Amino acid sequence: MSHSNLKEAFYAEGKLPDCPVYDLHAHMGPYYGIGFPRPDADGMIHAMDRAGVRLLVFCHHGTLFTPDIGNWANIAAVQRYPARLRAYCGINPNYPEVIAYDIAHFDEHPDVFVGLKMLADYHGFALTDQRYRAAWELADRRKLLVLIHTWGGSRLDGPEVVREIAERYPQASILMGHSCHGEWDKAIALVREFPNLYFELCAVLDERGMLERFVGEMGSRRILFGTDLPWFNHHYYIGSVLGADITDEDRHDILHRNAEALLSRFGV
Amino acid sequence: MQLDLFDVNLYIGRPTRELYAPVSTIDELLVQLDRQRISRALVWHVAQRDASPVTGNAMLSAAIAGQDRLWGCWTILPPQTGEVIRGDHDFFGDMRANRIVALRAFPELHRYLLNCVVFGRWMDQIVERRIPLLLSMEHGVTWPAVYGLLEAYPALTCILCDVGIWGVDRYTWPLLENYPSVHLETSLVALEDGGMEATVARYGAKRLVFGTGFPERYPESAILQLLHAEISDDDKQKIASGNLQDLLARVVL
Repeated sequence: MSHSNLKEAFYAEGKLPDCPVYDLHAHMGPYYGIGFPRPDADGMIHAMDRAGVRLLVFCHHGTLFTPDIGNWANIAAVQRYPARLRAYCGINPNYPEVIAYDIAHFDEHPDVFVGLKMLADYHGFALTDQRYRAAWELADRRKLLVLIHTWGGSRLDGPEVVREIAERYPQASILMGHSCHGEWDKAIALVREFPNLYFELCAVLDERGMLERFVGEMGSRRILFGTDLPWFNHHYYIGSVLGADITDEDRHDILHRNAEALLSRFGV
Repeated sequence: MQLDLFDVNLYIGRPTRELYAPVSTIDELLVQLDRQRISRALVWHVAQRDASPVTGNAMLSAAIAGQDRLWGCWTILPPQTGEVIRGDHDFFGDMRANRIVALRAFPELHRYLLNCVVFGRWMDQIVERRIPLLLSMEHGVTWPAVYGLLEAYPALTCILCDVGIWGVDRYTWPLLENYPSVHLETSLVALEDGGMEATVARYGAKRLVFGTGFPERYPESAILQLLHAEISDDDKQKIASGNLQDLLARVVL
């Protein structure tokens, strides 16, 4: 493994002005399965400051799990921290009327939303289900980012489902959250075949060796950094990127350059 | 700041199932430790888990012989079967002779119950000798088993390793509250955002011991998190090596 100036600098400083971090997979708020020490917007901004995270794109747990809260939680947080936060508009296929409302009002929040978030394994409908159709069409038409939870072996958001979606909506930039965790070969094949698909590293980086495979097979330009904040610690995942046997140029791509390129179309 | 790191949670050997770049020899491990600036380590051999404690314990002993930066953990089995703990052997003398200062157990995987029916008076000796028992929550130990064991042996020196990908404060904090000799290894405590700071604020830095989870996890993850954790430098150094040093200094063999 070659010497890394970035590793030494992060060890010394904890954050680097010439290597800002963009976290493209985050949440916010409490969640039933885990007690978070600091899940609110203030706590998350504090966490970002400590690791030099310039921008975080999230979808609030309240949006994803409580239709009675909906996307207002996202809008309120971004309006409070407009320089540091952007949101994915959460899409819950169990409530088509909420989806219809959110799509109809999407353009009212150009400074809030950069795309959509879908969590099929938790919501119980495959990404290809008709209930998502209007949302996918919006994403395709407007070239939005779509962060999808993906997991190996899932019939709702596993590699076969992702393939269908990537084919059907080529203009949407689809971020494979967790990179089809466990079905790594299929994830690599998908990214190789579809230019609108990206690896996303949340829950990938706690397993040593997978990032080396992604970079080895596909280079570092299609890989995006994410932490599920408030779940996972930025320094922990940055440390994984620093520990992987890849170059500092690859690390710059993953930690900020690729995200900067994707987000530039939204004026971020 | 520069931390003196003493890794409580890493293994050597190639696991049965393929893993990215494991280290199968001590020389390879020492190269890895030097690269990470880890001064000392408490090591186990993955054959203890995957093949047999009998095989793996012997492989570990041979591997760490004469290595003054390394100490070892043997893996135990029920005393009744006489595979690891034998009535005709001085188990603790053998530990001392082989640089073994702690024990591990994989009850689910090795198919026995980790409780007082099985370990009875023998575990009382582990408690009295203050030998740390390391339990990996990712490798064959359940939370009810840990709770049951500590109820039976409340003074047991226990280090819970690999505590889980999702934050587990709801499981670990009641144990820290009720059992002063329970400690947490940090390789996955470090993963939970704010988890280390919250644990230190509530229970003190003395309850955490630094570990990397190598070769399954990147050591840089736990190191970078600890370097920049929002706790005092003194607390960082306790976690990095001081606490484990203190625990091992208390062991009677």
